[in-house]
Amino acid sequence: MSKRQRILVVDDDVQVVDTVETLLQSVGYETIHAYRTEAGMDLARQNKPDLMLLDVMFSGPPGPDGFETSRLVQSDPELKGIPIIMLSGVKTVMGLHYDFSPDDTWLPIKAFLEKPLRPDKLLREIEKVLGPREKATA
Amino acid sequence: MKLQTKFTLAILVIFAVVAVLMAALTVYEVNTLVIGLAENRVKIYMRAAWEIMDAKIARTRSALEILAQDRPVVDVLAYGGVPDRLRPFLESVRRDQKMDVLNVLSPDGKVMLRTRAPYNTGDDLTSDPLVRQVLATKQPAAGYIVMEQERLDVEGSELVERTLAVGGEPRGMFAGVAVPVLENGKLVGIIEMGGLINGATEKVDAIRDAVFANEIYNGKPVGTATIFLDDLRISTNVLDQSGRRAVGTHASKEVADIVLGQGVPWTGPASVVGTPYLAQYDPIRDPDGKIIGMLYVGELEQKYSDLLRRTLFLNLAVILAGMTLAFLAIYFLVRGIVRPIHALSEATHQLAAGDLSHRVDIQRSDEIGDLAQDFDRMGERLQTQRDELENDKQQLTTLSEQLQTTNRNYIEMLGFVTHELKNPLTSAIMGLYTVKDGYLGELNAAQKKSLESVAKSLDYFQDMVRNYLDLSRLEQGQLVAKKRHIDLQTAVVEPALDALDRQIQDRRMTVENRIPQGLKVEADPTLLRIVYDDLLSNAVKYGREGAGILLEAQESDDTLTLSVRNEGEGIPPDKKGQLFQRFSRLDTTPAASGKKGTGLGLFICKEIVEKHGGQIWADSKVGEWAKFSFTLPNGVAHNG
Repeated sequence: MSKRQRILVVDDDVQVVDTVETLLQSVGYETIHAYRTEAGMDLARQNKPDLMLLDVMFSGPPGPDGFETSRLVQSDPELKGIPIIMLSGVKTVMGLHYDFSPDDTWLPIKAFLEKPLRPDKLLREIEKVLGPREKATA
Repeated sequence: MKLQTKFTLAILVIFAVVAVLMAALTVYEVNTLVIGLAENRVKIYMRAAWEIMDAKIARTRSALEILAQDRPVVDVLAYGGVPDRLRPFLESVRRDQKMDVLNVLSPDGKVMLRTRAPYNTGDDLTSDPLVRQVLATKQPAAGYIVMEQERLDVEGSELVERTLAVGGEPRGMFAGVAVPVLENGKLVGIIEMGGLINGATEKVDAIRDAVFANEIYNGKPVGTATIFLDDLRISTNVLDQSGRRAVGTHASKEVADIVLGQGVPWTGPASVVGTPYLAQYDPIRDPDGKIIGMLYVGELEQKYSDLLRRTLFLNLAVILAGMTLAFLAIYFLVRGIVRPIHALSEATHQLAAGDLSHRVDIQRSDEIGDLAQDFDRMGERLQTQRDELENDKQQLTTLSEQLQTTNRNYIEMLGFVTHELKNPLTSAIMGLYTVKDGYLGELNAAQKKSLESVAKSLDYFQDMVRNYLDLSRLEQGQLVAKKRHIDLQTAVVEPALDALDRQIQDRRMTVENRIPQGLKVEADPTLLRIVYDDLLSNAVKYGREGAGILLEAQESDDTLTLSVRNEGEGIPPDKKGQLFQRFSRLDTTPAASGKKGTGLGLFICKEIVEKHGGQIWADSKVGEWAKFSFTLPNGVAHNG
């Protein structure tokens, strides 16, 4: 029996977190979540998730945005290596444009997904990073 | 004050011209008049002079006639007495009469007795015109005769000396009378009596006294008289420089030629010993009719020229004074008109320059006053109007600002709202699809259908939110095309297709992507993505189920043409024009009515394409296909 893959979801919208967790859990992933970056990072250090789903832009109180977070992850020895999938609510991220070829700067970031997320799309991207998922076993 | 100057000059000129004309006329008239009068007067003086001359002679004649009847005289002549016995008597008569000559002649014209030393006798006087006339007519003869030297010698050397003293020539003019002495009708003798005019003053002074009353004017005698022997002054009261009688001088040639030569009187201004006189010269004839001299009468011109000048001066002064008064009057009158006009002109100028508060404030009861009043009223009105306009303008500005603010607020709100909508939308869609796709358990057909319906609504909702968000950004100018060198497929097309993957599969449509791999374009990927999202989503929506969607790219020179083609009902021709307008719909056909669009999509696409410097358009074959194409300028490089 293989260990269930653990995914950290960080988003400031409660509903989004809820919806994503429901979906992920329904296909057998283990999830943890946070609504703020700091909390999310602490959680990540404690629980070492296999993947982080981060929201790029936070409409809440000032805090590092998704990119900032990914740099934090990259530079944090405890967090380094954990892959990140960015969730974006807007097509233009603070005036920055992005293309889809990751380079050194984006190392942790494996994909950008746009909201609203289609379940099948999300799951597909997750499988690209983590490999084919284990079905939930009793 | 140009008007004032003009008027003043004009009036000055007019007055000057009139004044000059009047002055000239006055001068001419006064001159003529005065001279005419003077000349007339002088003629009268001459007549008077002659009267006096004649009277003198007449008196002499009377005296002689009485003498001619004196018994002793007659007896001597008639009965042969000794004439010498008469001498003392006759000499005393002569002296009493103040005569120079008193001779008694025999009936044959020989002198029997003289009453002046040296008492010559015996000479023949038949050549004497007076004597000749008496001999011929047995009547008295009176007049003026010339006595040559010979005669003068005989009469008495004294007389010669007198003539010499007067004129340097031993010639004299003699005014005398000769009467016959008759006894019983028979001529028994002739008595001749008379005086030498040369050097005498009686006649001329008598003329002067009678005619001119011996008036003196400015130290000069007003009237003068002269008797000329030929052209020699022999008796005169004309004074020379030293105040003496100017005997021995000559008359002017001009006068002498006319009077002596032609025997006609001459009237006119004459310079008599340097002084201007108004003169008349008459010829003096002897009894034979021969011209022997001239009688001159003259009036001091100065008196009359002074009068003339004074009159003239007075006249001119009056004219000048009158003109000046008139000029001043007119000047002030004109000024009274020009001043307010000037004020009005100034005020109008001020008004035209923008100062609407300028008023003229002229109180008059005439047309100018009316004009001024109207002007002020006009100023009032203009000012009021301008103030009102200012007011309106301010109100409009305020209104405009308010509108703009409202609009801005609205747009911002729109952006904010739609932005805010995205999150719940995200959760909703995700949640729905999670259930619908069976992740939370299998669904029965009815459940599936129901959720399908919800999914469609949510999709539409999502489209709308996206479009309104884009619209708000467009309106706020936030959709700025930040062009970059991008790979069309990977940056734009593939993600767009990916996002629509679900709908495409649901409708069983096939996508043929003929855009070359690696095709690079200069464009804003985000904005271009919006375009493709919209065109593709339209293609899916309006295309037939199970039909194909074609994406193409064509290069030509500096233009890249991209297109999205779907097979479906196409676009009705009458709708083509409205396609790219705001809020356009193609939902009038029954088939299309099931599909909904926000109506904004194509409008935004157009804006974006045009921001890139390109153009967008639609082609269609109704009932078969619809194709949307747009161009992007700039060079395109293949990444081969």
